[in-house]
Amino acid sequence: MMLWIMLLAPLVGAALNGLVLRKAPKTVSHLVAVGAMAVSFAAALAMYLEMMKQGGEPTTYLAFDWLDAGGFHAPFKYIVDRLSGLMMLVVTGIGTLIHIYAGGYMHEEKSTARFFSYLNLFVFMMLQLVMGDNLMVMFVGWEGVGLCSYLLIGYWFHDDKNAAAGMKAFLVNRIGDIGFLLGIFLTYKHFGTVSFSELRELIGENTLDAIHLGAIGWITLCLFIGATGKSAQLPLYVWLPDAMAGPTPVSALIHAATMVTAGIYMMTRLNFMFYLAPTTMHVVAVVGGLTALMAATIAIVQSDIKKVLAYSTVSQLGYMVMACGVGAFEAGVFHLFTHACFKALMFLGAGSVIVAMHHEQDMFKMGGLRKYMPITHIVFLIGVLAIIGMPPFAGFFSKDEILWKSFIGGGPLLWGVGAITAGCTSFYMVRLLCLTFYGEHRGGGHSSHGHDDAHGHSDHKVHGDGHSHGHTPHETGVNMWGPLVILALMSAGVGLLGVPHVLGGHNIFEEYLKPVILIPEAAEEHWAFLEASYSHSLEIGLMAASVVIMLIASGTAVVLYGRGPKPVLDTWKKSMSGVYNTLSNKYFVDEFYFAKIVQPVHDMAEFLWAFVDVKIIDGAVNGVGEFCRFIAGTLSFKMTGSIHRHAMVLVLGLVCLLSALVIH
Amino acid sequence: MELINSHILSFLIFMPLMAAGVVLALPSLQAARMVAMLASVVAFLGGLHVWYWFDGTSAALQFVESYEWIPSMGIKYIVGVDGLSLLLVVLTTFLMPLVLLSQWHLEESGQKNFIALLLALESGMIGALAAMDMVFFYVFWEAMLIPMYFIIGVWGGKRRIYAATKFVLYTVIGSLLMLAAAVILYFAHFRQTGVYSTSLLDLYQVKLPLATQMWMFAAFAVAFAIKVPMWPFHTWLPDAHVEAPTVGSVILAGVLLKMGTYGLLRYALPLFPEAMAASAPVLIFCGVVGIIYGALTAWVQKDAKKMVAYSSVSHLGFVVIGSFAIMAGGELSVEALTGATYQMINHGISTGALFFLVGVIYERRHTRMLADFGGLAENMPLFAIMLIVATLSSVGLPGTGGFVGEFLILNGTFQAMPLAAVFASLGVLLGAVYMLTLCRKILFGPLDKPENKEMEDLNARELGYLVPLAVLAIAMGVFPNAFMGKTKPSIEHLAKNYKNYSLDYRMGSEMTSKSAN
Repeated sequence: MMLWIMLLAPLVGAALNGLVLRKAPKTVSHLVAVGAMAVSFAAALAMYLEMMKQGGEPTTYLAFDWLDAGGFHAPFKYIVDRLSGLMMLVVTGIGTLIHIYAGGYMHEEKSTARFFSYLNLFVFMMLQLVMGDNLMVMFVGWEGVGLCSYLLIGYWFHDDKNAAAGMKAFLVNRIGDIGFLLGIFLTYKHFGTVSFSELRELIGENTLDAIHLGAIGWITLCLFIGATGKSAQLPLYVWLPDAMAGPTPVSALIHAATMVTAGIYMMTRLNFMFYLAPTTMHVVAVVGGLTALMAATIAIVQSDIKKVLAYSTVSQLGYMVMACGVGAFEAGVFHLFTHACFKALMFLGAGSVIVAMHHEQDMFKMGGLRKYMPITHIVFLIGVLAIIGMPPFAGFFSKDEILWKSFIGGGPLLWGVGAITAGCTSFYMVRLLCLTFYGEHRGGGHSSHGHDDAHGHSDHKVHGDGHSHGHTPHETGVNMWGPLVILALMSAGVGLLGVPHVLGGHNIFEEYLKPVILIPEAAEEHWAFLEASYSHSLEIGLMAASVVIMLIASGTAVVLYGRGPKPVLDTWKKSMSGVYNTLSNKYFVDEFYFAKIVQPVHDMAEFLWAFVDVKIIDGAVNGVGEFCRFIAGTLSFKMTGSIHRHAMVLVLGLVCLLSALVIH
Repeated sequence: MELINSHILSFLIFMPLMAAGVVLALPSLQAARMVAMLASVVAFLGGLHVWYWFDGTSAALQFVESYEWIPSMGIKYIVGVDGLSLLLVVLTTFLMPLVLLSQWHLEESGQKNFIALLLALESGMIGALAAMDMVFFYVFWEAMLIPMYFIIGVWGGKRRIYAATKFVLYTVIGSLLMLAAAVILYFAHFRQTGVYSTSLLDLYQVKLPLATQMWMFAAFAVAFAIKVPMWPFHTWLPDAHVEAPTVGSVILAGVLLKMGTYGLLRYALPLFPEAMAASAPVLIFCGVVGIIYGALTAWVQKDAKKMVAYSSVSHLGFVVIGSFAIMAGGELSVEALTGATYQMINHGISTGALFFLVGVIYERRHTRMLADFGGLAENMPLFAIMLIVATLSSVGLPGTGGFVGEFLILNGTFQAMPLAAVFASLGVLLGAVYMLTLCRKILFGPLDKPENKEMEDLNARELGYLVPLAVLAIAMGVFPNAFMGKTKPSIEHLAKNYKNYSLDYRMGSEMTSKSAN
């Protein structure tokens, strides 16, 4: 019962706002949306407590049979277990906070019914994704959240750039979705079912032959392609930075806290298959590591506050994927959880800043906001401390767990990649903090939105906001900073759930997720290192090393940006213009994709139509007509001009020919 | 009830034709319209009646009516429906009231003729779907052409004569090939049994050597491939669609094209099974090429209607591959075949809606060029919702009927021919490419053209025919079993036994007692 309430409340909210209350005042649509979320969260909480009271055993619920054909069977069936239970709390809990905040953020809009309808619909779809008990229901959510993402990125559709960004997100995700689909086909082909529970039983408790093991390799690889789309990994991450064109609460909810973690969730859900596919796992780890590093380096030179956070998200997702790749799914999910808190916090904080700055997103035009926005400053500071891994904030524990597991599972090189990424993260995050909140306020003049087009001024208003530009920024209302404070408390505290044994903790989180993880017998040897014991000094040493890296990087950033950007930076920019340009242009990946893939395919399409279709095929058709006219003429039919007669000649001939061939 | 059930199909076939006569005879357009609407609604209720009483546990041909016509030549009037035709019949009767509603506001003098032609077309379509006798099938098949020829040729755009002629010639060439092959089949049946019969149920029993089958299969397949249209026989379609009036396109895409895929399943496949099996790779190849080629060409169109027209080539490619996915054991994939028959209906709904929507903006602006629009979501929010729903179903988003069809087709095809399915699944991406381009150019971006600012949102009449389509597109995605449940026995029967195909039949008069499920 609680499950249905949790699932349906957001759908009802979406329908109310989308269909019935389209012209309702803003407060009404906001209340409906927040109400739906609150109900959903309450139901989720009740169900969660109930499940934990039963010892955290999985329970499945059948809604109705959905798709049956031949041997294929995919019901709308949902599973509540420790993993989906955690996810539903994150989705509805953080979702509720963001819905509350969004009311304040969107207060300049004429009407918000459409916005909240999409946002509620997103939560409904996200719940399909995490609660589904088979690949098909997951795929419903998987594409459904993609749709909502598309609609919300392009929410301010009057600017074609926003519409383009939404479309890009949808299409890039669709590439991944093809991988996901092929994964489903393969799973059905080899195992005859797409149900998680059945697959788990089938694969976890049986010894598989070589064919099935090989199939698992392909299945996991295909599904991982899906994950690279949704979770913005190489080579499909390119949509996420553009997705910042959407309103900032959307970036917080969809493009930081929930949707983009779908890939990590999916791999964890199917961990028993990924454990059996060591090759895929190598790919996963390497892709995750490279994504983390690459995105972090790009983030260093961005000047748009949301772009920094976007690349930071890509980078952090890379961490999570890397954790999955070395078999540390618990660590990946733990980081997913802490990241959801502190990244949502930072996006919303950035949103408050953007509102205060009248939709200015260039950090170099900010500065000194600490004075004007004391609460936002404090919570943002907590978020930054969490993400850079300052002990004992949340990110320290979750990130360190990943670094440690990647060291024992992937070796020093992978650890090095992670550690350098951590250094970059500390640098760009402290840089962001300094440029925004410290130093002197560099706004005021506020010429126009005319900063260079590499980073879009996408968050601007369509209709003029009633304020005159130029007066000083001010703190937001409680409906906006309230949720931030809650998120800040979580960012500071939830790390304590994962204090490692070496620091005298019990790693409650890992224990909590243990029952979800299942290493099949055939793979146990390969993954034995996960359970092996290591010298404490090594673990502590690595931990200390990463803390030192973090401190150095943060310190550097403080020195360079603490009181506004140092002039020396401009000199460096000039002397290293090659590096700088490569980074600020994001390694030219978008340009490469466009020039080498999109444009050639478009050219080919143009060719197929203008030449093959019109000239060759249709030309041949018309040519046959001309030919008939000619034959008819030589057969001394009267040229009546009637095309019907020509047709008849043609057809009669064909009939004779065919009859002759068959009857002899 | 027995009386109704034993004549319901003949009623559905001939009642619209009679109504067409009445429409022509009536002096006032308003009255003619009312009569036509009444007739089409009654036909729809009749279609629902058939669906309701259809026994979904049986693969037999149901609601059969059979009368001798020319006994010496073995020509009978036999009509019946099974799981292959059931939904298509209902779809046809469902679309017709919507089509009439979309014409309701037009006052030109020719409207009466136009409406009469639409009703005559309905008769032809239902007749072709229900006929189980080769001669009657052929008659209905050709009869569909005549109204469509006039609909395009008289009420079409600038190049209407070219388009209409091309449409008719293409189809006629195909159908004459089919006729020749049918005649040969007829004599082969006589040679094997000593009895003349044109009944499809008898012709299914004919066994032919592979070489002969190949020729005859080719003749049938080309006839149907043109109608589908399967690549590379598709070039009549964009011309026909672009020139046809809106409702012409709706019916063309909604039902007429399905006659091709339906014909492949009803005739070409079970009549010449070995030949079909031998040529399946070619058909699948053409289907896959059609999917990709149609999608790419759709992408570069500048005319919204032409874009939707090319999208049909792509979508029907899915139906084609789903119809010929032969598994390792020689059977057809049930999943793929289920998807193919389901996709026929989905395509009718979503593409029908798309043509309606293009018609809506064409009526307001007298242009269909994408570059002339932009930002319509601002002043036409209801239109935007409808266009987005139709788009989502067209691109196969889960939760819409399009997904169910595409997924089952691709999944089934993958089990049979993985490589074909991999290439075909590119269509999933490319479909989104052109459809989202369409949405973006029409709905999004700045509303900067003064003419567009004055465009009004959908009115009640337009909502009246668009909302049912949108609701259906979603309902078919969420509750597919409710729609395809009754078709499953027929599909499984065809997939498993197409090599020795035979159909039981149940007379219309017997329908009441057995089907109380």
